[in-house]
Amino acid sequence: MPNDALTVFVSRLDFAWITTFHIIYPPLTIGLAILLFCAEWRWVATNDEGWYRIVRFFERLFIVNFAAGVATGITMEMAFGILYGPFSQAAGPFFGQVLGYETITAFMYEAGFIGLMIFGWGKISRGMHLFATFNVALSSSLSAMWILDANSWMQTPTGVVLKNGVFQVTDWVAALLNPDVWLGFPHMLIAAVELALCFVIAVSAWFVLTKKHVTLFQRPLKFAVLALVVIAPLQVYLGDGLGLTVADAQPAALAAMEGHYNTYNPDGSVDTSWKVVGWPNAKGDGMAWSISIPHVLSLLETHTWSGKVEGLNSFPPADRPPVVVPFYAFRVMVAAGGALMLFAFWGLWLFLRGRFSVARIAQNRLFLWAAILCGFLPYLGIWCGWWVREVGRQPWVVYGLMRTEQGVSHMDLTSAILWLLGYMYFELIVWGSTWYFFAKVMRRGPDLESPVVHGGHQHLGEFDDRPKGEAPPYVRPI
Amino acid sequence: MDGLSHIQSIVTFAWWIALDLSVLLYIVLDGADLGAGVFSLFVRSEHERAAIMSAMAGTWDANETWLIVAGGVLFGTFPFVYGSAFSYLMVPLALALWGMITRALALEFRHLAEAPWRRFSDICFGVSSLVVAFFGGMAVGALLHGFPLTHTPGVVPTYVGGSFRFISSFSIWTGIAAVIAVTLAGVLFIRARFEHGEPIREQAARWTDLIFYLALAAVAATVVINAIIFPWAAQKWFGPHFWAWGLVLIAVVLVAFKMRAAVRADRDFHAILWFNLAVALMAVAMMVTVYPWIVPGTWTIYTGASPAVSLFTFTLAMGGFFPVMLMYNAYQIWVFRARISALAAYH
Repeated sequence: MPNDALTVFVSRLDFAWITTFHIIYPPLTIGLAILLFCAEWRWVATNDEGWYRIVRFFERLFIVNFAAGVATGITMEMAFGILYGPFSQAAGPFFGQVLGYETITAFMYEAGFIGLMIFGWGKISRGMHLFATFNVALSSSLSAMWILDANSWMQTPTGVVLKNGVFQVTDWVAALLNPDVWLGFPHMLIAAVELALCFVIAVSAWFVLTKKHVTLFQRPLKFAVLALVVIAPLQVYLGDGLGLTVADAQPAALAAMEGHYNTYNPDGSVDTSWKVVGWPNAKGDGMAWSISIPHVLSLLETHTWSGKVEGLNSFPPADRPPVVVPFYAFRVMVAAGGALMLFAFWGLWLFLRGRFSVARIAQNRLFLWAAILCGFLPYLGIWCGWWVREVGRQPWVVYGLMRTEQGVSHMDLTSAILWLLGYMYFELIVWGSTWYFFAKVMRRGPDLESPVVHGGHQHLGEFDDRPKGEAPPYVRPI
Repeated sequence: MDGLSHIQSIVTFAWWIALDLSVLLYIVLDGADLGAGVFSLFVRSEHERAAIMSAMAGTWDANETWLIVAGGVLFGTFPFVYGSAFSYLMVPLALALWGMITRALALEFRHLAEAPWRRFSDICFGVSSLVVAFFGGMAVGALLHGFPLTHTPGVVPTYVGGSFRFISSFSIWTGIAAVIAVTLAGVLFIRARFEHGEPIREQAARWTDLIFYLALAAVAATVVINAIIFPWAAQKWFGPHFWAWGLVLIAVVLVAFKMRAAVRADRDFHAILWFNLAVALMAVAMMVTVYPWIVPGTWTIYTGASPAVSLFTFTLAMGGFFPVMLMYNAYQIWVFRARISALAAYH
């Protein structure tokens, strides 16, 4: 039964919607877990109560985000089989194995330690708790590695042959270490760290701006901004490298990202101009209008003054990805990354001039407002980055080997639309409640009264002889 | 599809055992959480409902993860089954997923919600637990029916039978039976997790007898229906090894009554272990009944397996990761073993 174009499009929207509303949570989990580990380590090492309060406060935000991530993530694993059955069957030997490893080595690993991290306060020793936090950070990063490996293989499918409709793995090493993953994974991992840093910056800046717990929050603000000074340029560097990989492995995707239609100008010279903005014409074989800068395209994609970049018109129409989404999403992502880098340098300058002290930073309202704005930019960047990656790969689901229309399940249009409506409604509720509860935790502020926990002993239930009727000492879970 | 080599057949068989083990662990561990959720629909006190949630707060996520592990093994080792069965089961799985997500949100967000929303959150928690159990059970029943596949040469057979083929009187019955079974698990869980003398524990104790007989009847009915409507089941059960199946039946009944004795003697932890043993016995018996099919009449474990299964990856996963996973899961349950009282609600 062939799939008609509309059903394929709705199925794509179905999957796009659930991935778009999943990817906003795990990066914060990954990045924040790393930052929580650093802060908790400082507490265990120095016994400084400030670090402890910060850890407990950010952990509450972490929990809210984690719950949303699990809820939307379980959907993902089922959705491959439900929405992309034939793709799952064909790609299963590689793709399914990798996702299987993700669940076994990362998802389960994380779930095991997150319970201890959240509810283990006062039940396990400080060292054990720090160890649990470390494992949450490590396992969530491992999870990103597996997922990015699977996705990168869809971009650059090496090490397999397509035989009898199944991708048979001929070379595991080549498939696992495919060309795209070398920068695809670091780009995502650093994005997660950058997002978490900006999240900490924005939350801390809000407290400093509203003059609540200024001394407590000045420290995470300062350290996060200084870390961003390293992370933000690193991300730009990694992104540039990934662009070269795309140019090499997926020239059509790159041409779409850049809105680059013609390899050569009408006079026969190489078209090296980079379009800042533009809009494709109705025929879809060129830009109706655009503002362009000469030589920048060649500089960006080939790192030479006037190197040749293949244009979209060199590919058969059936193999061309859509232009508008990759083109604009790419520009927004780059702008977000650039703005964060500039913000980090601004912070560094303030720090070097000695204006980051508790008293002075609270006066700098402009910087604090910019810091709050920075909390939203990485979300935008991550969304746009994924849209570039996934829409740019079209019309393929496995680049060059399997088309999207061959990969989607044989659903009727009604089911596809009902799924879309159901999950649109649902994931908007998840998103809304996540932000609502973020706001609520922030309004409540850090808990400064409860005593600092110590690794405690607790009653052993069945295994402990205790006279009936005696009330047990109880440690509240949160 | 190319046939599997001899060593691959053995590895596939071993992966199948691992898959069943994950599903069994999920049923045993999360079944109790789901049942406690269903039970919470009948709990009047708001603090007690909150206490049920905090009783599972530290472990529910890890328990649920066994289902994700099962899904991962299915996708990785039996991709042909995963891709076609999940298309077939789109509707019940989407609804069960809705339930899982709602439960997760209710569990994690309840303590942050304003008072008027807490009642709403509690209802969501109870209803979603019910939905997961019912549609999970329904999906299993629908799988036992098998489903039709395409036969296009050069392409992997896949499912094209529409979204509502899964509905049958048998699959509706397995859904109901699953709800009864998890409720029993939930009642036992609540008895074990709350202090002696807590009203909620008394309420659970009152329920145990009724649910126990209901569950026994449900199991008996399911076995009889199976024998009548599925020739593959009748062939095995009444074949040359009928005495072995009879022994299994006696063992299950014996274990069930051992569980009841433990309940009567207030040995709650032992009751849970006996209950889990009964579930495990029945699950293994069902797996042997269905073998070599993974979906009766549709996929055997060998036709459904990925041609890329290898001894190396299996050893890595089973020798390396599974034991570690079991270890930290056990440690986690150990940390959160203490009995609690209704005061332990999230604040």
